[in-house]
Order: sequence, then C-alpha cells, then structure tokens
Amino acid sequence: MNEIKTDVLILGSGGAGLFAALHVYDSNPSLNVVLATKGLIGKCGCSRMVQGGMNVVLNPADSVEKHFMDTIKGGGFVNDQDLAYTLVSDAPKAVHELEVKVGCFFDRAEDGKIHQKAFAGQSFDRTVHVADLSGIQIIARLTDQVFRREDRIKILEETRGLDFLTTAEGDRVVGAVLADMRTGELIVVNAKVVIVATGGSSSMYKISAPSVDKTGDGMAMCFRAGAEFMDMEMMQFHPTGLLAGQSRLSGSVLEEGLRGAGGYLLNGLGERFMERYDPERMERSTRDRVARAGYMEIMAGRGTESGGVYLVMGHLGAEFVEKKFPGMCDRVRDIGKQLSSEPVEISPTSHFMMGGVKIDIHCQSTNMKNLVIAGEDSSGVHGANRLGGNGIGESVTFGRRAGDTAAALAEQNILRPYRQEQVEEITRRWMKFYKRTEGVDIYPIRDEIKNLMWDKVGVVREAKSLQEAMSRLEELLEVADQSFVTNRTLFRYNMEWNEIINTINWITVARMVSKSASLRTESRGSHYRSDFKETDNNKWLVNIYLKNKGNMEIETYIKPINATRFSAEEIIKANIKY
Amino acid sequence: MSLQEINVKIFRYDPEADVEPRFDSFTVPVIKNMAILDVVMYVQNYVDKTLAFRCSCRIGMCGSCAMYINGRPRLACRTQVSSLGTPDITIMPLPNLPIIRDLATDMEPFFEKWKKIKPFYVGKSELKDPVAIRPDSGEREFIDQMLDCITCGCCYGACSMVATNEEYLGPAALNRAYTLIADKRDAIRVERLKAVGRSYGVWRCHDQFNCAEVCPKKLVPTKSIQQLKKRCVLQKFGVFK
Repeated sequence: MNEIKTDVLILGSGGAGLFAALHVYDSNPSLNVVLATKGLIGKCGCSRMVQGGMNVVLNPADSVEKHFMDTIKGGGFVNDQDLAYTLVSDAPKAVHELEVKVGCFFDRAEDGKIHQKAFAGQSFDRTVHVADLSGIQIIARLTDQVFRREDRIKILEETRGLDFLTTAEGDRVVGAVLADMRTGELIVVNAKVVIVATGGSSSMYKISAPSVDKTGDGMAMCFRAGAEFMDMEMMQFHPTGLLAGQSRLSGSVLEEGLRGAGGYLLNGLGERFMERYDPERMERSTRDRVARAGYMEIMAGRGTESGGVYLVMGHLGAEFVEKKFPGMCDRVRDIGKQLSSEPVEISPTSHFMMGGVKIDIHCQSTNMKNLVIAGEDSSGVHGANRLGGNGIGESVTFGRRAGDTAAALAEQNILRPYRQEQVEEITRRWMKFYKRTEGVDIYPIRDEIKNLMWDKVGVVREAKSLQEAMSRLEELLEVADQSFVTNRTLFRYNMEWNEIINTINWITVARMVSKSASLRTESRGSHYRSDFKETDNNKWLVNIYLKNKGNMEIETYIKPINATRFSAEEIIKANIKY
Repeated sequence: MSLQEINVKIFRYDPEADVEPRFDSFTVPVIKNMAILDVVMYVQNYVDKTLAFRCSCRIGMCGSCAMYINGRPRLACRTQVSSLGTPDITIMPLPNLPIIRDLATDMEPFFEKWKKIKPFYVGKSELKDPVAIRPDSGEREFIDQMLDCITCGCCYGACSMVATNEEYLGPAALNRAYTLIADKRDAIRVERLKAVGRSYGVWRCHDQFNCAEVCPKKLVPTKSIQQLKKRCVLQKFGVFK
C-alpha cells in the first residue's frame, strides 16, 4: 500500500477545501499539503454549482450586525452565535481576497462597484454574484490559484476518503486511508492535521440538488471516528427544485434570485399560495417556509399534474428574465420549457445540511484533536435554516479559517505514527465487497434509501414515520454491508464499489438525521413536525448532539444554545413563530 | 419525436486489460427529459455495473461528463436524447485524451496545457481593493462572457489542430490566457503573452471554429485567439504593454 507523509491532508475541493489549501500555503509555504478530491479538482461537490451568489456586507448602509440578525433569525435562533458572527464578519474579507488576490470579478453595479442583489430572508440586498452561475468563477479561479502552488500542494484527483486513522486513545486524528478510484488502490496518508471539506449528504433524498458525487463521506467518516455532531435534524429543502420526471436533472435548484427578483409561486389552481403561509414576505420568505408551503400545497391535492407547484417569471418581462438569469433559462430550455414566458414545474428539493460536526470558531472539532472541519460538514453557523447566499459564504470564510488553523497546528505538532492494525481493519471493511462471489445488489438499496428518506424524514415529519425510518435504516446498514461487487477483479474505476461506500455513508448520516429529528418534538426552521407544529422556545432553545458510542450506536445529549450576542431571554421576548 | 426505447452503442476499453476497444449494445427505455447522462447511468446501475464514466453536477456547471455522442463532443448531462433525432445513439470517450476506462478520459494533458499559460491571476501590487469598472464602459464585456468556461474539454476534443499537434495548447487554455491578458488588473500580462505567442500557441489555430461549434457554453475561443494574435503582433512592435 502506498504511504504519503504530509503536514496537512485536505479532503474536498469545493470552496472550503480549495481556500483552505491556499491559506495553509500562504500562512507557511514550507508546509506540505495533500489535497484529495473525489472528482476532478474544482469540478466535484457543490460550490461549483453555486448559482445565486454570496451574502456579504459591503455597503456602508448595511452592517454585519444586520447580516448577523438575519442569519440567526433565519436560523430559528438555534445557531451557534459565535459561528454565525464569524461568518458575517469574515465574509467581507473573503470577498476582498477573492477579488484582489484570487482574481474573481463579480458583477458590477452602474457605478462600477460590486453589485449586490436581493435574496430571500434578508433586510438588505447584499448578495454578490456572477450572473446566475456564480460558483463557476469562484471555484475556477480558486483552482487556478492552487495550480500556482503545486510545489507544496499535491493534488490527488478521483481519490476518496475511506476512514480516518486515530491514536489508540481515539481522541486524535493522524491521517486517513484513501482510495484512488482510478486504480482502486488504497493509500495511507499520515498527516499532522486533517481538514474535512467534503460537503453534506442531501443526495440521500429522492429529489435532491447536490452533485452526484457528494454522498456525506466526510460526515460518515467523522461519525465512525467518534467526532461530536450537532443539529443533524436540520435538513434544508430548497423550495424551487426543477421537476423533470425521472431524469437526473430533477431536483436541480432554480436559483433564489428568481424569487428575489419578483417571481411568483402558484399552485395547480393558479393561486399565489404563499399568501396563506407568509402574507408579509410572500415568495421572498425564507427557504424553510417556502419549501414547506409548496410541499403542503402538493400534499393537500393542490399541486400540478406531476406533483409540483409552478414558478412563474413571465410577468417580469421575458427580456429581463433572459438577461438576468441566462443560466436558469438555458437549464429550463433543456427540458423544453421557457422560464421567461411560461410556468415551470418545481418541487421542494433536498439541498443542504445545517447540521454536522461540532466545531469552534477556528474550525476545530470540539472532541477530536487535529481534526479541522470547514463548510457543510460542520454545524452551528446556520442553525435551523440557512439563508440563500450564506452557503458559499460559509465555505469560503471557514475554508480560509480552516487553512490558517491547520497551518498553526501543523507547526505546533509532530507527525504522530498511525496504527498498522487500524489500516488493516479499514482495508478489510471496504475491500471485503470484492471478496464475495454473491451478495446484495447495492442499487436497489440505494434507491430504497432515497425513497425512505423522502417519505419519512422529509419536509414534514412525525413520530411514527421517523421510528419506521430509524428501524429500517438499522436493517439497511446491515444489508448494505452484505453487498458485493459484480466483477471481483475490476478495481480500476469501479463505480459499483464506490456506490457501495456511498450508500453506507448515506445510511450512516441518515441514521443521525432521523434520530435527531425524532428527538426534537417541536417545529423550528426546516424541521417541521406535524405532531408538534408549534415552536417551543421555553423548552427547545437547545441543540441536539450526537456521537458514535463506538459500535455505531448513536449517543445523544442536549445542550443550551450558544447565545453570546442575543440571549435566550431576548429570543423568547421576540416571540417569533415558525 | 416520441421514443419508447433507444439502441445505444457504448465504447468499452480497459487499457490495462483489453487488447483493443469494443462496442457494447444496450436497449434502454426512454424516460421523460432523458439526457445521455441518464442513459449511461441506467446502463451502469441496472444492466452492466462494470461500465465506467465520469460525472458530477449533472446540470452543465462542472464540465465533468463531456463525451463523444453521435459524432460530436457534448456534455452528457445537457444532451437530451430527443435532441439527437434518432433512436440509434453511439457514445464514445472525448477524443484527443488518454482513456482511463470506457468513457472516462484522463484530462491531464488538457490541464497540463491549461497550466502552461499561467492560468492564475496575479494582481497588480498597487490594486488594494476591488477595482471599480462601470458595466457601460464595455471594458469587460467580452472577457466576462469568456470567463464562463467550465473546462469540460469539448473544444479540445473537437479541435483538429489539437488532434494533429500534440504540443498545441488548444482552445480552452488560450481562451483562459486571453481573459487574463485582457484583464487590466493582471500584473503578468506580457509574460503570458510571450507564453502563448509561440508556434504551439496562438499561431497553431487555423480559425476552423471547431471549438465554437461544440462549446456547451456557447463561447467562441477562436475569437479570443484572434484577439491574442493581434496583441502578439503589437507586442513584437513594442506597442503592447
């Protein structure tokens, strides 16, 4: 087995992973970095897929305090306020760096300054963007900057993480076992620090937005290694996912700016249904409310023929829509519709996980040493619901921080040895699927999980279906472990083997999501319980924590929110309903 | 055209194991809005699990799934089956690149050339803040449009000059060079211009527009290359600074 020794190992090449790599290098150019990415560098994951843009305070009439309040209000007040404040106060620095150092060029307003557009749930128009496909430029330019630093940054493409290597005490990460997907060979990376930036697991739902490769790998690895998680019940469904039948185009997001610009949502009867759910903000309400409203319309039999609702842009003028949203218009044209002039069928789509590994403001895991988490794999920044435009914001701001933290840790730490027996255990865990001559076909299992999660742990939840989901997931974890690879000698680019790992990681994350959702017996943000419809600020201004007991059983505990800036008393007084 | 099913021929090749490539045929039921990506996923998931191909975002933003579909480089995710106008579909890997297995190509030669033009921005040291540029100045109109490149390699696979000239940098890398050289904020424009102004650079382009014909983002690299040629000449005369 190949072995690489390095200072810093980074998993993931989205906004967080790439920015982390730049910051490790720029903090200390003598440090060695291994950047492993599941697809091609800068092409996999979801930062690249960012459409709308990034929230940042640039205008003197705006303020980080306002951005902070929007973020925690949007997040149902269970955000870690220190992390939310870090997001809003670092965002201007990140955008500055993206323009001045990385070389991005965001769209400009008439006066030549960076243009900021309207997004939902915000008190100020503060979303910077590159037309309606912002991620392409942000990620392409960050990737180019990583290419500039290849003397110290070793890029491993189509190389996925399998599991972390830890010390015998189990509280410190010393590297990871990776798989080179092109050859099927395993690689041991012995590192002083590991940064996890692989993104979430929203793809475990039938209708979902993320890239195909993003399957909760980092989260599942962190869970197996024993890291502490928080807020796993908080799954965001984006209200405007394109409906395109069984095609993989289904679930892809039609960007938030469409609603920001004045798009309407109509049900099958032609009613602007947001009137019933948030008459004040209508379509510009937060994602959680709009997604739930759409879902309820569909469930109440007021949906479209294909089980969706309509997004309507035509009243804004075809020319305006084509000019402002060329990427969205192109996408919709692919399915034979004209976004600028006719209603388009949409549905809520599983989009983003607010929950994840618990971190401090330096992106360090709260219970595993030398484990650094950035972006969607972490928790606390967004609370119970993420605002549109705060996602790429989190990736880049916390990616920068993670890089700085990792550089400092790498300087302070020695390279600790890994345990060969752990390498062997991990090898057995993942290579056994090649050893069997018969077993379970993984694809029907994968399809079942997607349906199970959509039906029972979806937009609207209740005790009975959550219980059913939990017990079925326990069974599926065992069933998936009995999978086999059809061609036992084909290690090179074996997509079936990779799908087995993906599916086991999905189940691992799905178990946490359903467990956590069953515990929160109230409704808040994106977590809606039909059996507990009210928000209960007296009891539930808390976060649910989860951890692996060591045998994959989940230990849970509850702690009060971290309310360092806007206290629980003030939140209760504000009496905001969800 | 409404189809019940399609006949798909897929290129199969494992350079480590096979003496030569072959085609496998599959009959695939057609679903609504079916893209070629749906077709190869169907085959791999449910018919022949050993098929290899690459994809990621599945909505035309990442440029991972470029393939040679019915005689033309295209993104599998943005090629609707119905748009091909025939029930007979042949899917091959993107030309001009080594094959890892089946439809998955090794993009390294493409990115090695991308790196040769120094694709990374180097800001002028006096620029401490984002530069104010009015949209109506027209200064960035063409650059901004060309920045939408998703490095899918379709142009590289289509270019007849790349096919016959191993050293040629190709349309995508040269287009990237143009977006930097035309960017007034960039500090090493002259250095970049020297890198592209060689025989394996801009002068290898013979204006056949193969690249523009296949670009899924509707970019016209030929136009960027013409702009570069002009600047190369000016630079030789000492006019470009």
